[in-house]
Amino acid sequence: MKLSDKILAGVLIVIFLFIFYIALDANKYTAQVLAIEGAGKVGVNPTTERLDFGDLSPGTSAVRRVEIENGTAIPMYVAVVRFGSINDLMKLDKSFFVVPARTADEIEFTVYMPASAPIGEKLTGRVFIFKIPGPWSS
Amino acid sequence: MLKILKFFLNIVIYAAIVGVIVWGLPKYLTKKLGTDYPIAAITSGSMWPALHIGDLVLIQAVSKEDLEVGDIIVWQNDKGFTIHRIAKLNENTLVTKGDGNFTEDAPVKYSDVIGRTVYRDGNPVRIPYMGYISVWSAKIKAN
Repeated sequence: MKLSDKILAGVLIVIFLFIFYIALDANKYTAQVLAIEGAGKVGVNPTTERLDFGDLSPGTSAVRRVEIENGTAIPMYVAVVRFGSINDLMKLDKSFFVVPARTADEIEFTVYMPASAPIGEKLTGRVFIFKIPGPWSS
Repeated sequence: MLKILKFFLNIVIYAAIVGVIVWGLPKYLTKKLGTDYPIAAITSGSMWPALHIGDLVLIQAVSKEDLEVGDIIVWQNDKGFTIHRIAKLNENTLVTKGDGNFTEDAPVKYSDVIGRTVYRDGNPVRIPYMGYISVWSAKIKAN
């Protein structure tokens, strides 16, 4: 193996480990909401494990907040990626931002149940919050 | 020499493919669907679940006589274009409403109607995610 190959292999291993760390360190949540019949009805399921927006009737909304704490000495770039049927109804106040070193920030998730909500259907999804350390400026 | 020729030939072929897609496809659709605005991107959730944010839909020209209650149409207004479903047909105007909205829109003149979404098997033809370029550019514009 040539020296250049060894350097290239080393760089690729570092990149792989960096991506692996970011994926492992990401906050992973299951998001869900149940569309219920009626007007102005809201049912809350209090839990910190899931982004559970409870039971919502058309015209109502629910808000969930996730706190991102950066206890390290390196700024973190935060990227929120989400999938699933709940995605169309869920709005975020911010998806990409920087959390400076030794500070905390909050992401607000809001689900609004529209008039065309499929009554009785549970809408679900997955939310991944990636934190990428780096020399980011806020 | 042959390698260089092959390289440039590949560039020409790729450029031709991109040119056909970027320039030719809208031209073809304009001619085929009879409207200057044959493609529209969904930038809001007001038509959910029939249409999703980021969908690309095809629009075809339609005459006043062919419009029916329940059709999804595109109409022009001060803010740009709106894609909603026809709720009422009046003599001089029509009224639309987003499926996800609780209230109807203000009456629309027939002359402001750009067209109707293309349907297949009773559902509007939509290309998921392809409209996100418009969604993001609209967000950047708004900021």
